[in-house]
Amino acid sequence: MSVAQYVKAFTLWEFVKAHAKTLRYFFRAKATINYPYERMPQSPRFRGEHALRRYPNGEERCIACKLCEAVCPAQAITIEAEPRDDGSRRTTRYDIDMTKCIYCGLCQEACPVDAIVEGPNMDFSTETREELIYDKAKLLDNGDRWERVLAANLAADAPYR
Amino acid sequence: MTEFFNTTVGLGYEWSWFLATIVGILVIALPLMLAVAMIIYADRKIWAAMAMRRGPNVVGPFGLLQSFADGLKVFLQETIIPTAANKGLFLLAPIITFTVALIVWAVVPFQAGVVLADINVGLLYILAASSLGVYGVILAGWASNSKYPFYSALRAAAQMVSYEVAIGFTLISVVLWAGTFNLSGIVLGQQNVMGIHLNGFGFNPLLFPMAVLFLISSLAETQRPPFDLTEAESELVAGYQTEYSSMSFALFWLGEYANVILMCVLNATLFWGGWLPPVDWAPLYAVPGILWLFAKMLLFFFVFGWIKATVPRYRYDQLMRLGWKVFLPLSLFWVFLVSGVLMWMRVGFGS
Amino acid sequence: MPKLKVDGIEVEVPQGATVLQACEAAGKEIPRFCYHERLSIAGNCRMCLVEVKPGPPKPQASCALPAADNQEVFTTTPMVKNAREGIMEFLLINHPLDCPICDQGGECDLQDQSVAYGRGQSRYAENKRAVTEKYMGPIVKTIMTRCIQCTRCIRFAEEVAGVEEIGAIYRGENMQITSYLEEAVTSELSGNVVDLCPVGALTSKPYQYEARPWELRRTLTIDVMDAVGTNIRLDSRGRQVLRCVPRINEDVNEEWASDKTRHAIDGLVRRRLDKPYVRVNGKLLPATWDEAFAAIAAVDHGGSVAAVAGDLVDCETMYAAKALVRSLGSSLLEGRQTGMAYDTSSLAAVNFNTTIAGTEEADAILLVGTNLRWEAPLVNTRVRKAIKRGAKVFAVGPETELTYKVEWLGHDLSVLGDLPDTVAKIFADAGKPMVIVGGAALKDGHGAALKLVETLNLVRNGWNGFNVVHMAAARMGGLMLGYAAKGGIADLTHAKLTFFLGADEVDYSRFGGFKVYVGHHGDAGAAHADVVLPGASYAEKSGTWVNLEGRVQRGERAVFPPGDAREDWSIFRALSDVMGARLPFDSLAGLREEMYGEVPALRHEGLVSFGWSVPAIDGSASGTIGGYPIKDFYLTNAICRASPTMQRCSAELVHGETFAEAAE
Repeated sequence: MSVAQYVKAFTLWEFVKAHAKTLRYFFRAKATINYPYERMPQSPRFRGEHALRRYPNGEERCIACKLCEAVCPAQAITIEAEPRDDGSRRTTRYDIDMTKCIYCGLCQEACPVDAIVEGPNMDFSTETREELIYDKAKLLDNGDRWERVLAANLAADAPYR
Repeated sequence: MTEFFNTTVGLGYEWSWFLATIVGILVIALPLMLAVAMIIYADRKIWAAMAMRRGPNVVGPFGLLQSFADGLKVFLQETIIPTAANKGLFLLAPIITFTVALIVWAVVPFQAGVVLADINVGLLYILAASSLGVYGVILAGWASNSKYPFYSALRAAAQMVSYEVAIGFTLISVVLWAGTFNLSGIVLGQQNVMGIHLNGFGFNPLLFPMAVLFLISSLAETQRPPFDLTEAESELVAGYQTEYSSMSFALFWLGEYANVILMCVLNATLFWGGWLPPVDWAPLYAVPGILWLFAKMLLFFFVFGWIKATVPRYRYDQLMRLGWKVFLPLSLFWVFLVSGVLMWMRVGFGS
Repeated sequence: MPKLKVDGIEVEVPQGATVLQACEAAGKEIPRFCYHERLSIAGNCRMCLVEVKPGPPKPQASCALPAADNQEVFTTTPMVKNAREGIMEFLLINHPLDCPICDQGGECDLQDQSVAYGRGQSRYAENKRAVTEKYMGPIVKTIMTRCIQCTRCIRFAEEVAGVEEIGAIYRGENMQITSYLEEAVTSELSGNVVDLCPVGALTSKPYQYEARPWELRRTLTIDVMDAVGTNIRLDSRGRQVLRCVPRINEDVNEEWASDKTRHAIDGLVRRRLDKPYVRVNGKLLPATWDEAFAAIAAVDHGGSVAAVAGDLVDCETMYAAKALVRSLGSSLLEGRQTGMAYDTSSLAAVNFNTTIAGTEEADAILLVGTNLRWEAPLVNTRVRKAIKRGAKVFAVGPETELTYKVEWLGHDLSVLGDLPDTVAKIFADAGKPMVIVGGAALKDGHGAALKLVETLNLVRNGWNGFNVVHMAAARMGGLMLGYAAKGGIADLTHAKLTFFLGADEVDYSRFGGFKVYVGHHGDAGAAHADVVLPGASYAEKSGTWVNLEGRVQRGERAVFPPGDAREDWSIFRALSDVMGARLPFDSLAGLREEMYGEVPALRHEGLVSFGWSVPAIDGSASGTIGGYPIKDFYLTNAICRASPTMQRCSAELVHGETFAEAAE
């Protein structure tokens, strides 16, 4: 070790330099945003909370083909189906266990009628686990609530599919 | 205060002294708890700012009430006691840590004459009491009856004991220079040090290295980064408080931060003039001494946070090497050096 | 034996084989829609095109082209690939893209083959054809837009089921498959067209939208709806059996199954006994197992214990009950619920000795008091096959529609002792004559029929033409285990304690003692019992069944019994502890070892050899056959009676009620 190095070691020179650096950063502009009050722009492909959509005439889109159930890698989806009174194929049960879901988006990729979609909503924490087991009513309700955004997102992404 | 109760209220002397002491304790402890809450917030904010983040910003204006929200949450949670734990000791451990962190404050002078117990061996009391803190840690680790807390407690105990040695020798230098163990005396001894109109042993070139040494040792003593090897939250299972939850966990937390504040105050008091203004200039004395102390404490706390955001964590062997093979010989040598210089200054060679 | 080359692989195929079969022999997969091994060749889907040399320079339909010597067949040339892509594109022109809502989705020939052999996309942009739905009865749902006119269903109805009620109307693109006057297809085999349909045009109505093939757990087991022992696969999800489809077993059911076999399964979740009941003051009240057992143990039977086996039980259950009865000091066992008491000293004399597959080879068949179409529909299809090969069929009994031409000899049993000369001559000339005795004739005509063995020389070298048709899956197993009292059920009625193993056809009023019903459905038995113990149905236990030809077959458990119900053998095992007569087995395997020790023939799956011996029975025949034992094909047991599908089939197909279809 040279004398200069000894001097550096005993004067904690490296530490002082490092602290000068962090102090500079201390006064820099923040890289993060003020999250709950500000939000980052979201891609139309963002995969957030699930929703079941309806057709404009109010008819639910889901036809109980069970492709989403089959493709779901976390096996979070449970569907039961039977013929509705008018003979059409509909679900009697459409459950997503949001505690199992890994938000991979394969369900919406698999859906032939754009019924199950992952919407832009990403902060939907609950107080109990039970609330995270979504049933059909909850999913349809989500669909109704987010429909305008969902439709816009699908339309925006359509050219690239 | 005793006088106030004795004469104005008309109580007997013993009762007056007792009430006065109780009031004194409350006057110190309650603002201290508040300070701990805010200091945790400040810690998070400083760390966040150095990482160009925002830190807590949701609860209250600028997130100021974050600590209180956390406290409320912790208070409402269930206290879980592991079935295999030694129940009595398990609950006793956080109480020891918290209590020890508080009792040290009895001898800290906030201003000239404003001290709960102005005892002659104040510094010794501080060393003794803070050493007791290790019992809380060891008991917590052992009573959990869980291997990771136990390992952590062993690490923590070894670390605290190691650095207390260095701290002890560092303080001997200060005591030698000040000539007293009384903290108020030490503060007053720092006025116009070396005759250069600056208040603080830290301005004495001979004692400045000890100030740095003490600062670093106090980081280790309070298990702050870069010496936070007991917890090492990102690398090891949390620490000796792994099995703790709810209020028992919160007591550890409060005690830890109370210790941090104490170390900041001690840094200010022992080396940087305590309640005295930094420059020995008359107009500055118009500002109440407690504000100076408070400002210095905040400065040191900022340094603590600053170091936390800057320096990566030490390895455990590096930690031990630094304590035993660098700080101990250095401080020991400095004791000889300081005593020698004092000898020469007061008695001179020859005689 | 033509020798030919398929893609350079030399194969030798039997005379009359097609090029398609030759390709299969060479291990080449040929896509097909209309071709089916068990149906006649239609050659109208054109999917099986291959290139053949020598021949015209165009692809040929391999299913309709006989294999010949020195042919060279190519299945991988660009011409073949092109042809397949073209055909697939044509087929898909009018096929709707509704796979997501189609029940065939996931197990659809068209889906698979369009992936394997089709082009990526369609060039067809015009409007697709749409066809109105047709009505084909309570079993078959039609979505005729999906039809690709392979005509498998038409050929099945004509050739196998023997009901010419499905056909095609119009021609070309407008061709439509429909049932006669759009009425329900009156076949007990109509469910098979669902399996045959390569697309989703004909799907199962009761199973409509219930499940997807990939979410079902498949269990191989044996059907108990009749004594044929159809090999089936139960598809279940969770705790419910959702579908029953036949397995291929050339010796038993080929690849068919009757509608009862297929669709009675929805009765498995209805009217089930899911907890024990004890009769208190004349009313059955729910109880715990301990209470129910205590009630049975409290009966002072004094060794007078009997067991009556129902039609659906497995050998293990019957053996467990037998062991319990025996350890309680009795030997009263009976399985023939209706009170019939034929001689069982020689099991060969009550067996279907020709075997089901052997029936095809017969050239003269005499049916004695059997409505084969209802008693054993899949044996009936074999008789049809025999007729196609030239067999003559005569029948004694009330006239009924058997789906083939039968010469009726009246319903007087005395005709057996004095066959008309024409009949006698045909039988005398026959190489493989066959007599099939049904349930209606067993009581009075068993001896007379056995006498025919001698007069018609039914048993000859390598051929045994004497057959008895049973209707209960448990019957042959029961007879092998000794569930036959000399006087029939009448011998048991005095017992102080009687166990009924799912016996719902018994006349309970004849039994005076304490009645314990061990079964799975709340039917006649449960209504009359003093204690009801919930057991497992055939889908819920692994068991051994012996079919009417003496074939030992084993089935696996598909689902678990509902509620507190247990597997039957374990009920008897537990009960034996309470009654102080501990049975020496603790597991199904242990029970089976015990059972094999007693009846070694049950150890190995397959045909049991009963040898041949004629019991000494009075051979004179008298009396008439008033009617056949099965009054309603669709409601023969407790499971069927609980099944809404079977109820509807019965109402519509047997009793002629009409149902308004939901507007579609």
